[in-house]
Amino acid sequence: MTSVDLKILAVGAVTIATYTLVANVIPQLESELPPEMDLSAEMTPDELVAIGSQLYEGAGGCVVCHSETPGGRAPNLRTDFQGEGTIGSRCADRVEGLSCKEYLHQSLVRPGDHMVEGYPPIMPSVERTLAQPQIWAIVAYLESQGGEVTVTTADIPDEPADAPPPGEVPGAAVALSDPAEIVRQECSQCHVHQGEGVQLGPALDGIGARRSVDELRRAILDPPSVVSEGNEELVGLMPADFGRRFTAEQLESVVQYLSGLR
Amino acid sequence: MSSGRLRWSTPGLRLAAAALALATLLLPAAPLLAQAYQPGMYGGDFPLIGRRNAIWIVAQVHLMFAAFVLGVPMFAVVTEAIGIWGKDDRYDRLSKEFTRLLLVAYSATALLGGLFLFLLVTLYPGLFAFLSEIFHVSMWIYAALFFFESATLYMYYYGWDHWKKGRAKLAHLGLGVLLNIWGTLVLFIANAWLTFMMSPPGDMTPDTSPAMVQFWSAFANATWMPINIHRLIANAVFGGSIVAAYAAYRFLNSRTPEERAHYDWMGYVGNFIAIAVFLVLPFAGYWLGREIYEYNQQMGVTMMGGFMSWLWIVQAFLIGVLFLAANYYLWLGLGRIPGGERFVPYTKWMLAVLILGFMVWATPHSMIADRDELAAMGGTHHPFLGVLGLMSAKNTAVNLMILTTFLSFLMYRRANKIPTVSWARTGTLTQGTLLAVCAAVVVFYGIYGYFVPTLVRIGFSVYQVLAVLFTIVAVIVLDVLLMRRAESRGPIRWGEMPERSQYALFVLVITFTWLMGLMGFARSGIRQHWHVYEVVRDTTAQAATPALGYAAQIISACVVIFLLMISFVFWIGGMIAKPTLVAREEAAP
Repeated sequence: MTSVDLKILAVGAVTIATYTLVANVIPQLESELPPEMDLSAEMTPDELVAIGSQLYEGAGGCVVCHSETPGGRAPNLRTDFQGEGTIGSRCADRVEGLSCKEYLHQSLVRPGDHMVEGYPPIMPSVERTLAQPQIWAIVAYLESQGGEVTVTTADIPDEPADAPPPGEVPGAAVALSDPAEIVRQECSQCHVHQGEGVQLGPALDGIGARRSVDELRRAILDPPSVVSEGNEELVGLMPADFGRRFTAEQLESVVQYLSGLR
Repeated sequence: MSSGRLRWSTPGLRLAAAALALATLLLPAAPLLAQAYQPGMYGGDFPLIGRRNAIWIVAQVHLMFAAFVLGVPMFAVVTEAIGIWGKDDRYDRLSKEFTRLLLVAYSATALLGGLFLFLLVTLYPGLFAFLSEIFHVSMWIYAALFFFESATLYMYYYGWDHWKKGRAKLAHLGLGVLLNIWGTLVLFIANAWLTFMMSPPGDMTPDTSPAMVQFWSAFANATWMPINIHRLIANAVFGGSIVAAYAAYRFLNSRTPEERAHYDWMGYVGNFIAIAVFLVLPFAGYWLGREIYEYNQQMGVTMMGGFMSWLWIVQAFLIGVLFLAANYYLWLGLGRIPGGERFVPYTKWMLAVLILGFMVWATPHSMIADRDELAAMGGTHHPFLGVLGLMSAKNTAVNLMILTTFLSFLMYRRANKIPTVSWARTGTLTQGTLLAVCAAVVVFYGIYGYFVPTLVRIGFSVYQVLAVLFTIVAVIVLDVLLMRRAESRGPIRWGEMPERSQYALFVLVITFTWLMGLMGFARSGIRQHWHVYEVVRDTTAQAATPALGYAAQIISACVVIFLLMISFVFWIGGMIAKPTLVAREEAAP
């Protein structure tokens, strides 16, 4: 091997090593895998409860509002609530004619139907972020908090076993073109705008003065990347599927509309 | 002796009847029998490095070879055409020399393709079955095209000296064009498969049977044509840069001035084609990015603002190195051109523009940051650098870098010429004015972009690109007219090039190769944990897309393997025949 060959090898090695080094010194981010939920037909109630517990603590985002400390945004479910006991022990008595699991399921998918007095209507339907098998797993978990688990796999509708994870439930494409109407229909489930909507996330009135256009776009497409001060605990609640459900035109019109709210 | 008539007692007839009866009985059960064996989604794992890394490395190295064997014919046919119409034999010999190397490289590409296929079938049988259910016809055509491509390649190379005069030479050039057509068809077919995995038809779901998918909607999917164009351009760039690096190696090992002159000239031509074509590559990249956003906003955000956001900073670093190395090579080249010294004082200002552009382009913007980083920056973006990280600033920077590199080429081209046309001064002033106005337009839209809504701002990038393309074309046309019957300050002294210039060519080819690996990772990685995006999920333990540091190690391994293999190809190619050298002093190209 000649000295020229050695020099060429050295140049090659230094160049390749430099690129490898640069790629290694910048922040290392790995794409996260959505959690696996094996909701098969042979599952026992205990297994359903275990999955429900996981979802309740994590992807379901329930603990954000249903905390055990006094003064939470929503009723405490896992320890005694105003002397009525835990949710599993009181759920069957909440609404006449509804069994415990029916009440809990309805409360999850249509939260406005059975409001607890003294609490604002801030809860979004979990159907937006969870698949039916996952919702039934949470029902089983809530039943287990002081009551008997009556949910069986027979309750779970026939959906693919590998139910899509939170934020990946394919939502229906949005057919509207008026951005104000899109905001009213899609955003007001968690954001107040012009006196309408649920006060869970930050209000949309004046959002254009608080956020740049780029931030608004990212907040819609990649919600965890833009978090308002004081709302850190809500991270993960906002559906991350708007990128699939909006066309590029719809997205830009909504972003421009929000940007104009000053 | 038998009478020849068939009777029921004939054993063969009985056997046939029994077989027929059995077949009739089993007919209703045929679908069940057909389904008795279904390939699993995954085969056994690959030892030591795992199935994902095995398929990643083989696919990437195969792609690098494929880019070479598709890029070099483009290079060869263009240089042959220049040789014919420019009546310059040097180009013809250069073209032939590289077609000779193509023969060996072609075999290596096919072998790697075969290895890739076997790995796919054995490690991912379910995925292969899924893809072949949709694309089987195109797979047959793909294989058949290799016969045509091989035959054309052999005729093109072995017929070189046979068909070298008159119409026969034109027919030979036609073979070169045909070779490129076959290659392009092969590329487009393979691209359809990989882009389908990225952007399957919107109505496909995990429950869609592949048998129900319409072939053409899967084949001509949303990202197919942008990838086709992007890869065609990138292959030409890659082919040129490999030619330049080969010439650099030969230059550094030359023993005679004639050899040095020949390989100096070859290095210049290879680099010229690589960089000239490279200047339009960012525009194809923008188109691809736009189509990805149009197909799926979520995918676009994952690519540009999600976990892959830092990848573009590494890409900016690599492209910055490309611009610097290419310009450095050209500036050093001015030293061997009589009259070139008058342009040297300007190079420091051009270097300043390139470095500033490099810094702006590599400025992060939409990064994923943790809470500490957000607190340190005082918000989601850095108060000062956040402004430079916007596309307005980046587009302005890259367009000015392109203009600067074009100016280097222009200086190089004009270095030893004295225009003799009566309007020489006016023409040169017009060229200067065009370049200045173009730079002003680019900067104006860059600044104005901060004061308009995003949708309007995105549209400004089109004006910037059009201004640059128009200026490049207009200035070149003017220059060709200006330099007709120009006087020469003296011939280019080919071979009198500092050795460090040749190392710049190595840096260029290594950077192009590494960039290919990085972009391959980006394209494949944005599918995240899906084999076919949102249709066929990756359920292996390696489903998560790795972080950039890990990917960089695999990319580097691919680059090293490719460079070792291509060096072997060149070594073998060098033993076949020796090139005819060009004279040490010849007219400027």
